[in-house]
Amino acid sequence: MPEIRLVNLRKEFPDVVAVRDVTITFPSSITTCILGPSGCGKTTLLRMIAGLEEPTAGDVYFDDERVTDLPPNKRNIGMVFQYPVVYPGANIYRNIELPLLEEKLSEAERRKRIEEVIEILGLQDSANEDITDLDIGTRQRTAVARTVARQPQTILFDEPLTNVDVKTKAELKRVLKDLTKRLKKTILYVTHDQTEAMTLADEIALMKEGEIVQRDAPRVLYNQPNDVFAGWFLGNPGMDFFEHDLEKSGDVQLLKSPLFPAPVHVSGASGEHHVTIGIRPEYVRIGLERTPMSVRAEIVRKSIVAGGQYLLVIKVGERLIKAKVDPVLGHRVRNGVWVECPLERITVFGPNGHRLDARLTVPWLQTVPQ
Amino acid sequence: MEGNAVEFRSVSKVYHRQPVLKDITFVVEAGTFAVIFGPPGCGKSIILRLLTGLEKPSTGQIFMRGVDVTNVSPGERNIGYVPQMFALYPHYRVYENIAYPLTLIGLPKSESDPLVRQTAEMLQISHLLKKSPAQLSAGEKQRVAIARGIVKKTEVYVLDDPLTGLDFKLRERLFDDLKQLQESLHATFVYTTSDPLETLMLAEQVHVLDGGYVIESGSLEQVYSEPQHVRTMELLGFPRANLLAGILSARNGQVWCKTDLFEFPVQMIQPPRSSAKQQNLIVAVRPQELRLDPEQMNGLRTFRAQVVLQEDLGGELVVHLDANGTPLVAVMRHDDVHLLADGAVTVGVPSSAMVLYAADGGQRMGRGAE
Repeated sequence: MPEIRLVNLRKEFPDVVAVRDVTITFPSSITTCILGPSGCGKTTLLRMIAGLEEPTAGDVYFDDERVTDLPPNKRNIGMVFQYPVVYPGANIYRNIELPLLEEKLSEAERRKRIEEVIEILGLQDSANEDITDLDIGTRQRTAVARTVARQPQTILFDEPLTNVDVKTKAELKRVLKDLTKRLKKTILYVTHDQTEAMTLADEIALMKEGEIVQRDAPRVLYNQPNDVFAGWFLGNPGMDFFEHDLEKSGDVQLLKSPLFPAPVHVSGASGEHHVTIGIRPEYVRIGLERTPMSVRAEIVRKSIVAGGQYLLVIKVGERLIKAKVDPVLGHRVRNGVWVECPLERITVFGPNGHRLDARLTVPWLQTVPQ
Repeated sequence: MEGNAVEFRSVSKVYHRQPVLKDITFVVEAGTFAVIFGPPGCGKSIILRLLTGLEKPSTGQIFMRGVDVTNVSPGERNIGYVPQMFALYPHYRVYENIAYPLTLIGLPKSESDPLVRQTAEMLQISHLLKKSPAQLSAGEKQRVAIARGIVKKTEVYVLDDPLTGLDFKLRERLFDDLKQLQESLHATFVYTTSDPLETLMLAEQVHVLDGGYVIESGSLEQVYSEPQHVRTMELLGFPRANLLAGILSARNGQVWCKTDLFEFPVQMIQPPRSSAKQQNLIVAVRPQELRLDPEQMNGLRTFRAQVVLQEDLGGELVVHLDANGTPLVAVMRHDDVHLLADGAVTVGVPSSAMVLYAADGGQRMGRGAE
């Protein structure tokens, strides 16, 4: 299966630059999700790889072959769109079969391929039903089956789960996860849904304003965001950020924040006068008792989130911070609480929003005898 | 403002002889964020159209601030309204679009201008005031529509599913905006949605609408933690609650409930019907109550299940299971366990986490006892 290499790929539309000189290699035989908000250029990028959109500049390579000028049908790709493309009036079997008729296959081979994809996508029970009568989830499965049956080297998905209901979505995710594991093809999957990306991807390429800002395995992207945008975009809700000036005291840099009971030391940020620290709501600790690293805070607002956890909006000094806590504690807390931001869970970003390889420590805490 | 901002008394609405709303009775206290929650097509928008006066009830009365407004025209009800299908006037700039409700009531520019600017500021769209709607992204348009709905200072604002179709991160930001807005205006918000997550994020008070009735009302915490109706339990949660069929029977003076997966003793609110030897019930258990950690199975009802999909939410893991043909969903904090190996796992659930509902009618009957 080919790796897909983009070199300075650019697309301008009359009023906007959709893709800005992207250079990246999507590895062979794994699933890469291209994730980003609406309008970030992810679909345009995918369409240029498919040959459906002509780049303004730059090139697309499949391994060492330059395919920039090849029409879509010469690129050996399959594509699945937001709305399932099906042939109405034909049954599922026929829907899968139609494109195969153009390939030089023996009837036995054709039948084998169709039966195989019908089995993989769990369409056995409805294979003989007219596609027109079936729900959107089944139609989307059929569209996937037809694409897979052609055995392209590369499969491109453009937000295939956007238009299906919640229940079908979970079912299709399972089917797609099984499929991608089984096929070992080069797969690019465009989505704005972080859960979909985190669930399906071997690697996520995060896109913002026409550029890929980070490409990593899902948990690496989640735990080590390269910039403030990645920290905010991933997570339900994303990171909270606080901007602080650093103070120099002798050889050390100090950070004073209402989030900590005393100044903390910053190492690895030399040369910076100003940093942004980020913490995820699920890492913020809330307690009814004071701990050495906690500060007093007031609860401003409570709501309920995934799994019955509480999302608390709490006020520390003049700042608001979010904390996700377990249902029992969330239900119990009312006004005042103690809040602790564990230093090892804090990410430090420089003035340009990029992550610094910096650490926060509290030497004074370690000197307390046990 | 104290007392009731809105009250529906036995309101019905019939279209072409079809009752859509059958007997709607509920109260919204002044100064609260009330969410009318129900599945798509349950008549939520009609309730709002009745409240704003765009439609008249077939029977029943509507009160605002204690006054019967059933026959009062929309203009005199003094409501800020964000309709579901918001349409911005394409030939007006953003500024004029927001100012429109003020222009309608003939407010002089000297008074309307500060209101428009304040509202734009609050929704962070000040930089867009000179643009035309065609130049805006979907999220920006939605915020302009919200601004137009709230620019006129009043005590009751009505928002009809205003965040539908927006991508996750934008919704997340608008959750915060809307909550802050409601708090800073000290106004009453009546908001509809079919999205459980949105309801859990926004509501102080929730009214669950199903089958033409408000089946349950109360504070969010109360309705979520002790749902009195099986439809509330089923619909209002993320991920959704697991429902199993159960059969009650009495043995040695103790009532037991048996499902396909396990049996447990129960404590009934209502005594089991004496006429029938066995009674059918629905057993509901929230996803956060299913335990997958083998260390924590002590005292739990246990059974084996196959892991079919793990969805990574970032801070949480949603695990889809298949227990001998019964689909189940579990959720856990991502800290607890890293990705489970696919395959079979032992699932445990505390007896007390099981809530029992009548199979016919859906009322709460009791819960599991340890």
